[in-house]
Amino acid sequence: MAATQFVVNGLLVGALFAAVAVGFALIWGVVDIINLAHGEMVMLGGYTSYWVLSLVTGNAEGSPVLFLATIPVAIAVLFVVGYALQRTLVSRVIGTDIFLTLLVTFGASIAIQQLAIQAWSANPRSIQVRFADPSMTLGGIVVPKMKLIAFVGAIVLTALLYVFLQKTRTGRAIRAVSQNPEAAALVGIDVEHTRAVTFGVSSAIAGGVGSFIAVILNIQPQMGLIYTLKSFVIVVFGGVGSIPGALIGGLLLGSIEELVAGFISSQWTLAVTFSLLIVLLVVKPKGLFGQGVEQ
Amino acid sequence: MSTSDEDSRGALRSILPPEAVDRFLDTCNDHGWLLLGLGTVAAVSLPVLGLEAGYFMTVITEMFLFAILALSWDIVGGQTGYPSFGNMAFFGIGAYTTAILTKDFAFAFPVAFVLAGVAAVAIAAVIGAVVLRLRGHYFAIATLGVLLAAQQVSRILDITGGASGKILLQTPSGETFYFLFLAVLVVEMGVVYYLSSTRFGFVLNAIRDDEEKATAMGFNTTYYKTAAWMLAALFTGFAGGAYSLFNTFIDPQTAYNGAWNVELIAMALLGGSGTVAGPVIGAFGLHTIIEIVESYAVGWQLVLLGGAVIVTVIGFPNGVVGTLREYASEMDYYKHGGMAATNDDAEVSSDE
Repeated sequence: MAATQFVVNGLLVGALFAAVAVGFALIWGVVDIINLAHGEMVMLGGYTSYWVLSLVTGNAEGSPVLFLATIPVAIAVLFVVGYALQRTLVSRVIGTDIFLTLLVTFGASIAIQQLAIQAWSANPRSIQVRFADPSMTLGGIVVPKMKLIAFVGAIVLTALLYVFLQKTRTGRAIRAVSQNPEAAALVGIDVEHTRAVTFGVSSAIAGGVGSFIAVILNIQPQMGLIYTLKSFVIVVFGGVGSIPGALIGGLLLGSIEELVAGFISSQWTLAVTFSLLIVLLVVKPKGLFGQGVEQ
Repeated sequence: MSTSDEDSRGALRSILPPEAVDRFLDTCNDHGWLLLGLGTVAAVSLPVLGLEAGYFMTVITEMFLFAILALSWDIVGGQTGYPSFGNMAFFGIGAYTTAILTKDFAFAFPVAFVLAGVAAVAIAAVIGAVVLRLRGHYFAIATLGVLLAAQQVSRILDITGGASGKILLQTPSGETFYFLFLAVLVVEMGVVYYLSSTRFGFVLNAIRDDEEKATAMGFNTTYYKTAAWMLAALFTGFAGGAYSLFNTFIDPQTAYNGAWNVELIAMALLGGSGTVAGPVIGAFGLHTIIEIVESYAVGWQLVLLGGAVIVTVIGFPNGVVGTLREYASEMDYYKHGGMAATNDDAEVSSDE
């Protein structure tokens, strides 16, 4: 029974990891960049929600509806941040050495994180959402309502991205650039703009997830790198550019972490995640991908 | 834009002719041992001439420390072409080795210091065998994972003092560390300079330029990569081993510092990666800037670091030494009318 409870907890949190990883995988697939500042987008999204809510209610507390209303703001702000990040920094190193692209995004990650510490201090914060009855029991399994809302929210964001990529004109342009940038440019797609939109959309989803994380866990300026690395683990699980793959990878990672926390100790979850990352890279560096990515 | 650029280049040429730069670089190259000796004498004479233990000695000692770290990173990152984001893992292993041995087991510092290097190399052999099979994104992220996993483990274990770390009170004097870090740096520069003209050094550069061709030529690249990785770990472990007592305090955040890892990459790039002098020059330069910022605006030095990394990578990826070398070979290039005259591998490969 305990194991079922852990798995349920893991699935609830895992959907959030998955939604972060989907954006990470999208940037990797379309722009061919590992965005080490992706976790910072989660952090900034959380802070956006936090400050908007504080502005409206005076402190970071509110009803569920009020909280949900802050999420579009976080999404909009982070779209702009992501778009600008690509246009100002990342576009300058595309096509150079892989290592330089990693370093630029790592530099951006450090700068954003440290600016956040300067602006908002390093203390963890969280948003309090008031419920009359915070959790419910389904067949002996306790499900906190807020986690359920976050789960649904993350799935909705992921599904929206999927629909956006499949059905809209911009989404098709993004997929075209991911397949062949030169051919896409030939048929009149503005490749630079499309890449920046990809960054914007991915960051926006990460920001939306950040809002949920601010409620069910907490946020602090240095949280980003862990989410970036978790995204990497998930993408290695699920495959570059594959949204269903990332979703499964995220749910799996969440479950593994909760099982480790439940049966061993919550101290070991991160160590297990990083070891899993290394083991996966060595055992299946390309094997789980749809198609192998060169180097 | 291009005309004014041409004009300024012309003006620069008359003040600083490329031939002179070329001759200067050649001289430096030919008399490396002499320059290293002169640098050592200059550094040793500072305390003799009256530099007392205190703020400035600490700052200079830190410069030596960063120069060691940047040069170690460059053995694998710049010379062999495996840019690691996890070098600081060996620093942390070294730091914790001396901290635990001197505090909990009452080892003498020199013994603990040597064992710190040994421990770092031993662990590097195991980790290297695993991560050096990966390339590109995967290698970079895997090394970052190693660093964070090591940090996390030291946070959990009891012997490392957990998240609160270890305070070390019985430490040698500041002057000891000045000479210790200097000695490690000089030895490391000597080793790297010596290797740069041996078969070993050439194979490392061949791996960076085209690993498949190097393999096809019959070199066991795994052996060379692992050896370079262990050499880097040795010096990083020494630096860490001395650092924990120098700092009198060690905790997971300082021992396995991801930001420092980026800092030392920035130093190597800024100075000119793949050279002996570049990472050292970069370390001295960037550390001076960071130190100045730290004394005027506490807390902003890491913001600056992030900015410096971005500016370096976008505007200046060849670093000081690389840019000078490019400039020096500019004239040759036109005189001989082609790429035959360039001795800069970066240019050759981009023209291919």
